[in-house]
Amino acid sequence: MNQQDQFTNLYNEYGEGIKKLCLGYTGDAVLAQDLLQETFIAVWNNMQKFRGDAKWSTWIYRIAANTCLAYLRKKKDTGMDIANSALAMLPDEINTKEQEIQLLHKCISRLAETDRLIITLVMEDKPYEEIAAITGITENNLRVKIYRIKKQLTEIYNSYARL
Amino acid sequence: MQDFDALKNMWQQPSTEKVDKTLPPLKRVNHSAGLKMKLLREQLIGAIMLVITAILISLMALYGNFNFVHWYTYAAMVLVCFICLVQAAILLATYRKIKHIDDTVVPAIHLQHWEAYYAFRKKQIRWNMPVYYILLNIALGIYFVEVLGGMPIFNVVILLAIYFGWMFFAWFYLGKKKMKQEDARLQKIMDELRGIVGQLNVVE
Repeated sequence: MNQQDQFTNLYNEYGEGIKKLCLGYTGDAVLAQDLLQETFIAVWNNMQKFRGDAKWSTWIYRIAANTCLAYLRKKKDTGMDIANSALAMLPDEINTKEQEIQLLHKCISRLAETDRLIITLVMEDKPYEEIAAITGITENNLRVKIYRIKKQLTEIYNSYARL
Repeated sequence: MQDFDALKNMWQQPSTEKVDKTLPPLKRVNHSAGLKMKLLREQLIGAIMLVITAILISLMALYGNFNFVHWYTYAAMVLVCFICLVQAAILLATYRKIKHIDDTVVPAIHLQHWEAYYAFRKKQIRWNMPVYYILLNIALGIYFVEVLGGMPIFNVVILLAIYFGWMFFAWFYLGKKKMKQEDARLQKIMDELRGIVGQLNVVE
């Protein structure tokens, strides 16, 4: 299999998951699409560096995480503005499933940058071992963090859903 | 009231907005915006400019019909070319070093790579810039012996004033400014990564 075929397979297999991860990060579909593209450009540029000491999914999600973190730190102020304005644009009544999901994306984007990454991976049902490998933190630390982020996200969501 | 499992179920529902199955247009995103790209570009452009300078001086020495009397004037031109090419090679080696910094590793390791590069670069700047300037000035000094030798003293003074003026400007203003800019870029990259690593390491 040549590099182009392998890249196409990787994109087809992980593109949707990465898009969701980016959406959870930014709370914005257009930004998520840009970050998805940037992630896969980085994947293409670095495919020769993949030595197989991690799974493809771990490697690709790590690139996505690094891309999102770098982007968000660069745009920290405007990023928060986007999240805020997007929250303000939500309808007064949260009726449909789609609106609930939209609200969830916005609530995730209110968390600290690295927390967004971790909780999105948890919701994608990634094993803790893989999340630890993606983020580079120990599993013990990760468990403590996940407990705290879950609580925080639930509180944020419920506070907005009550409005 | 929703608990976390309810939020997770909500998250896992198939999205109405599907990912486009066609490959992303790889040229759309502007890579030049990245600080790493700026650092890479600076080294590459510097190397290209030095190679062009070396080629131009070589062409001048070969086809310029200067008819210099002394061999050491031509030797000075060769020396300038050699210094430019060596400096270009150093810039290309630095370019390769930046390029090899792996963006696909976890933030803590990525930070270590940048810190190692920063330490290397600090050391390199400390010896490379003075050596480059001293050698370049020695070569140009030899060149000027014959070129300025037959000129009236007034012209020599004017030309040397312009030459030293330019060298001081290049060393004390342009060079320092460029180094400061590069240092700020490297610090920014490392500070961003330290922020991320700090967030990941916080456990409460």
